[in-house]
Amino acid sequence: MAVFDTPEEAFGVLRPVCVQLTKAQTVENVEHLQTQLQSVSDSALQELQQYILFPLRFTLKTPGPKRERLIQSVVECLTFVLSSTCVKEQELLQELFSELSACLYSPKSQKPAAVSEELKLAVIRGLSTLMHSAYGDIIVTFYEPSILPRLGFAVSLLLGLAEQEKSKQIKTAALKCLQVLLLQCDCQDHPRSLDELEQKQLGDLFASFLPGISTALTRIITGDFKQGHSIVVSSLNVFYKTVSFIMADEQLKRISKVQAESTVEHRVAKLMVHREADWVKSTGGKLTILIKKIIECVSVHPHWKVRLELIELVETLLLKCSQSLVESAGPLLKALVGLVNDESPEVQAQCNQVLRHFAGQKVVVGNRAFADILSENLHSLATSLPRLMNSQDDQGKVSSLSLLLGYLKLLGPKVNFVLNSVVHLQRLSKALVQVLELDVTDIKIVEERRWNTDHLSASPKTSAMRPWSQVQRRYFRFFTDERVFLLLQQVCQLLGFYGNLYLLVDHFMGLYHESVFYRKQAAMILNELVIGAAGLDVEDLHEKHIKTSPEELREIVTSILEEYTSQENWYLVTCIKTEEMREELTLKQPGFQAITSGAHNTCQATSLPAFSKPSPTICSMNSNIWQICIQLEGVGHFAYSLGEDFRLLLMSVLYPVLEKAGDRTLLISQAATNSMMDICHACGYDSLQHLINQNSDYLVNGISLNLRHLSLHPHTPKVLEVMLRNSDASLLPLVADVVQDVLATLDQFYDKRASSFISVLHALLVALAQWFPDTNHVGQPQEHTAEKEESHLNQRILENNATTAEDIEYFLLSYLKEKDVADGNVSDFYNEEEQSKPPEVDEKDTGPDVEPPLPVQIQIATDVMERCIHLLSDKSLKIRLKVLDVLDLCVFVLQSHKNQLLPLAHRAWPSIVQRLTNDDPLAVLRAFQVRVT
Amino acid sequence: MAAPPPPSPDPQFVLRGTQSAVHALHFHSGAQGQGCPLLFSGSQNGLVHIWSLQTRRVLTTLDNHGGQCVTWLQTLPQGHQLLSQGQDLRLCLWDLTEGRNAVVDFVHLESMGFCRGSTLAMGQQRWTLAVPGKGTDEVQILEMPSKTSVCTLKPEADAKPGMPMCLELWQADSSSRPLLLVGYEDGSVALWDISQRKVCSRVACHTEPVMSLDFDSQKTRGVSGSAEKALAVWSLDEQQALQVCRTHEITNPGIADVKIRPDHRILATAGWDHRIRVFHWRTMKPLAVLAFHSAAIHCVAFANDGLLAAGSKDQRISVWSLYTQT
Repeated sequence: MAVFDTPEEAFGVLRPVCVQLTKAQTVENVEHLQTQLQSVSDSALQELQQYILFPLRFTLKTPGPKRERLIQSVVECLTFVLSSTCVKEQELLQELFSELSACLYSPKSQKPAAVSEELKLAVIRGLSTLMHSAYGDIIVTFYEPSILPRLGFAVSLLLGLAEQEKSKQIKTAALKCLQVLLLQCDCQDHPRSLDELEQKQLGDLFASFLPGISTALTRIITGDFKQGHSIVVSSLNVFYKTVSFIMADEQLKRISKVQAESTVEHRVAKLMVHREADWVKSTGGKLTILIKKIIECVSVHPHWKVRLELIELVETLLLKCSQSLVESAGPLLKALVGLVNDESPEVQAQCNQVLRHFAGQKVVVGNRAFADILSENLHSLATSLPRLMNSQDDQGKVSSLSLLLGYLKLLGPKVNFVLNSVVHLQRLSKALVQVLELDVTDIKIVEERRWNTDHLSASPKTSAMRPWSQVQRRYFRFFTDERVFLLLQQVCQLLGFYGNLYLLVDHFMGLYHESVFYRKQAAMILNELVIGAAGLDVEDLHEKHIKTSPEELREIVTSILEEYTSQENWYLVTCIKTEEMREELTLKQPGFQAITSGAHNTCQATSLPAFSKPSPTICSMNSNIWQICIQLEGVGHFAYSLGEDFRLLLMSVLYPVLEKAGDRTLLISQAATNSMMDICHACGYDSLQHLINQNSDYLVNGISLNLRHLSLHPHTPKVLEVMLRNSDASLLPLVADVVQDVLATLDQFYDKRASSFISVLHALLVALAQWFPDTNHVGQPQEHTAEKEESHLNQRILENNATTAEDIEYFLLSYLKEKDVADGNVSDFYNEEEQSKPPEVDEKDTGPDVEPPLPVQIQIATDVMERCIHLLSDKSLKIRLKVLDVLDLCVFVLQSHKNQLLPLAHRAWPSIVQRLTNDDPLAVLRAFQVRVT
Repeated sequence: MAAPPPPSPDPQFVLRGTQSAVHALHFHSGAQGQGCPLLFSGSQNGLVHIWSLQTRRVLTTLDNHGGQCVTWLQTLPQGHQLLSQGQDLRLCLWDLTEGRNAVVDFVHLESMGFCRGSTLAMGQQRWTLAVPGKGTDEVQILEMPSKTSVCTLKPEADAKPGMPMCLELWQADSSSRPLLLVGYEDGSVALWDISQRKVCSRVACHTEPVMSLDFDSQKTRGVSGSAEKALAVWSLDEQQALQVCRTHEITNPGIADVKIRPDHRILATAGWDHRIRVFHWRTMKPLAVLAFHSAAIHCVAFANDGLLAAGSKDQRISVWSLYTQT
C-alpha cells in the first residue's frame, strides 16, 4: 500500500474524505476515513491530528439521537488515530476525555447507557488509548483538581462496567482502563516516573475515589468464583495498586497537618480529600474490613493464579503501606503464612520467596509493629489451637497448622517471646500433645517400612502371630491425614530450631514425666525438637540466627537419652509374660514333651487368649510398644542430628537398642533395627555388623553388668547372642572376658534360665568354630553338615505333631542305630581312645616340655564343655537337645587339642550314655561320635 | 519401683582389654581443663594403658618394662609427666605432652620387691623420690630430676623390720622437712625424718606384712592394710610419735591397697577377697562392699571428681561413681 510520508501528500488524500464525513455522517464515510488513514505514516498523521479529529469529534458532538453503529465506528477511528499519534495539548486531552466518557452516558438514568457491548468495548479501548497517547507533561497537568468531577464520572463508569457487565472482555477491558486512568498501568508506554510532588498530587486526587474503587473491586473480587479467574486477578491487581498508591507510607509521611489553601473552586474543593492522620486512620480501618473480606474469599479460591495474585497483594501492601494499614497487617500476614503450604507449587514457591524476602529485609523482625502483630497472632493461635485441633476436620487442621508453621518461620528467633510466656507455651504444647495422641485401641497391620531380612532382626520366633506386629506407621486418634503429621513434625522442628531448646526440652520433659498419657507425644515432640535444633532439615529464613552449639545439643541429647533408657521408661511390659509361665509349666510337666522350640510357639499363641487379661491391658501394652518405638526412633533421630558426635553416646545407648532389636514384638525390633541403621549412618559405620563389632567393648560392659541382675534384665543373654553373631575373631579377648561372666551366672541359675544361656553358648561355639576353623579338618563343610543335621532334627521334632509315616520310619531307624551304638560302641570308643593316644605322645615328644598356655578359644570351649556335662541331665528336653548341639560344637573346636578334649569326653561319656539309653532324641549323639573319632 | 532386695551396686563402667592382671592405677584429670580425664593402668605384662574416661577406650599403650609387672604409676604435679615403676628394676619417666609418649628418663632400681615408690614435690621443678634401696631393708631417697641420691634410710641393726612394703612421703604444712612413712614386712609402720635420717617413731600395727598405707596429713592420721583381716588406723601426735588408734576387723584377710579420697571423707580398700570396701574416714564406719571382680583386687585409685577405680587380677578395671550410690 502506498504510504504518504509527507503531511502535504497525506492532506491531499485525507481532505476529501474528511469533508465528506463532515457533510454526511455515515458509517461508510467513517470507515472510508479509517482505511485512508492506514496509508498515512505516523509522523504525517501527527501533523494532521487536529484536522482529522475534527470531523470525528464533530460527529460525536452533533446533537440529536445517533445510531450506535456510527458512534462505535467513530470511536474506533478515533482510537486508531490516537494510537498512532500523541496528544500534545491539554485542552484537547480534556475534551476528548469528556467526549469519550459521554458516549456511554445516558442523561436519563444514573447507570451507564444501555448500549451495545461492542460500543462499550470501543469506548473503553478509546479511553485507554487516549490516556496512553497523552504526551508526557500533559498527562500530569491533566490530573488537576478541576478534572475531578469528570474523572470521577469515568471511574464510576468503568467500575460499573466492570461490575455489572456480563461480557468477560468488557470487564477485563474496563479494569485495564481503570488501571490506566489511575496511572497504575504496567505497560511500557510510561517511561517517565513521577516525582514525589507529582505523586502526592495524584494521591490527593485519587484519594477521593478510594472508597468507591475499593468497595466496588471488593464486590467484584468476592463475587462468584465462576466469573473466571482473570477478572479476579486483574481486580486484585487494580485494588492493591490503587490502595498501595494512595495509602503509601512515603506519601503520607509528607502530608502536612493543615490543608493547603486550595486554589480550586469551592465545588471541586468539597470533593477533594485531605489525607491527614485521621483520614488515614479511618480509611485504614475501612480498608481492613475489605481486605479481610478479600483474603477470606481469595485464599480459598480454587484457581492458583488468584492465590498467587493474593501473595502479590500482600507483599505490595505490606511493603508500601505497613504503617497506614497497620491494622490489616495481621490478616495480611496470616493470608501469606497460610499459603506457605499451598497445594500449588508455584504459589508455594512465590510465598516462600516473599517470606524470605520479608525476613531478609527485616520487614518483620526489624519492624516492631510487625513483630508485635505476629506475636499477637501466634498468641491467639496458640490459645485457640487446642480447641481447633479438637473441632476441626483434617483439612482444617492442615490449614491451622500451616498457619502456625508460617508464623514460626516468619518470627524466627523472636518466637522465644511467645515461648517465654508460660501460658502460651502450655497452650501450644497442649495442642501439640493433644493432636499427636496415638490411637492405641487397635493397631492394624500395615507394612510401611521394609522388613529387614538381615539376621539381626531375624529372631523368627514370634513375628507373624502378634496382632500388632508390623507397623511403623502411626495411627493418631484425632487425624488420619499424613499431611497433618508432616506439618506437626515441621512445627516441632522449627520450634527446636528457633526456640530456646533448653526451655522447650525442659517443658516437654516435664510433660513426659507428668503422665503416661503425654509420654509418647512428648517423646515424639522431643525427637523432632532435637532434629530441628541440629538445623539439618530446616531452611533458615533468618541468616543471623545462632544455632544451638553441638556441645549444648549433645548435653541435651544425653539427658534425654538417659531418661529414655532409664529402667522405668525402657523396660515396659510389652507382652504378657506367657513365655516364662510356659517355660515353668513345661518344667513342671516333663511328660509334656511335644513342646519344642518350634512347637512351643504355636502352642503359646493358641493359649494366648486364655492368659491375656481383658482389653485395657492390650491397650496399655500397645501404648507401651509405641512408646518404646518412639523412643527408639528418637535414638535414631538423635544420632542423625549429632552425627559423629553420637559415637560418644554409644556406650550408653547401644546396649539398650540392641536389646530391643532382639525384642519379640516385631514392631519394636523393627524400630530398633531402624534406629541402629540411623546410628550406622550417623557415625559412619558401614553396616550393623561393623557398628556392633567396633563397639562391642561398650556392649560387653552392658552385658556383664546386667548379667549381675539377671532377674531385672532377662534379655541380656540375647544381646550377647546377637553380638556374638556379629563379631569376629578380633574380639576374642573381650568375648573370653564376658564368657566368664556368663558361665558364672549360669552356675547360679542352672534351673531357671538355662535355656537362654545354652543358646548363648551355642552361638558362642558356632562363632568359635567359625573364627578358628581347624586346619586339619575341612571345617566349613562339617559345620554345614552339623547345621543341616541339626536343623533337620529340629524340623523333625517340630513336625512331631503331624507325624508322617516317613518320619516314624526314619525315627525308628535312627533309634535302632542309636541303640546299636549304645550297646556296642562303648568299648569301641575306649579302643579308639587308646589307639589315638600313641600319636599324641609322639606329638608331645617333639613339642616343648612345658605345655604353653592354652589358646583362649580352647580354654573357653573347655569351660563350656564342662558346664554341658552337667546340663546333659537337665529335665527339659529342649535344653538337653541344645546341650547336645553345644557339646557337638565343643568337640569340633577342641578336636585339635586332644589333651583337653579326651578327659572331658571321658567325663561326658557316662551321661551321654545315659541319654542314649533312657532318652529318645539322640540322633545328635551320632554326630558327636563321629567327631570324637 | 526397685525390686524388694535392692540390687547390689554396679560399677559405672568396666574397662577391659588389658589382657593381664592390673597392678597399678592412677587418675589424671586433664591439666587445666584441657583434654579429657585419663586413667593410667599398669598391668602384669609390663604395659601401661592410657584410658580415656570419655570414650572408655585405650588411647595409647606404653611399653617399656620388658614384660615385667608395672607396680606403680604416678603423674608429676608439673604437667604431663608420668612415672612408672616396673619389676624390671626400672622407674621410667614418660613425657606425655601433646600426645607424645616417649621415655625421657629412667632410674635404675636396686631392689626387686613389691614396694611402690613415693614422690613429693619440693619446688617448681624439683621433687623427691623414695624407692626401695639396695639392701633388703633399705629405702633410698633421690632428688629428681637430677637423680642425685640424697640418702639411704637403713633401720637400726637390732630392729629387723624386714623389707619395706610401702612408702609414703609427706611434709607437714608447718615445716619444710620431708617425712617418710614406711610400712615394713613385720607389720610395723615407721616414720622417718629424712633430713636427720633417723626413725622418729615406729609402731607395730599388724602381725602380717603391711601391704599398703595412706596418710591424711590434715588430720595427721593414717591407715594401713596388711595381709591379715584388719585395717589399722594410726595417728601422729605433736611429738611425731605414732600411735595405733584402732583396728578395724574385716571379714576376709588381705588388703592389697588402701586409698583415702582426696577430699579426706572416705577411703577404699582393695581386697584379696575380690571386694572393694568403702569406709567413712573419720568414723571408719563401713559404707559399702562393692562386689564385682572375680579375682583379687590389686589396686584402687580415686579421681579428683570422686570416681573410684579398682584394678584386679581378673584383668578388669571397674570404675565406680560413689556419689550416685549414696
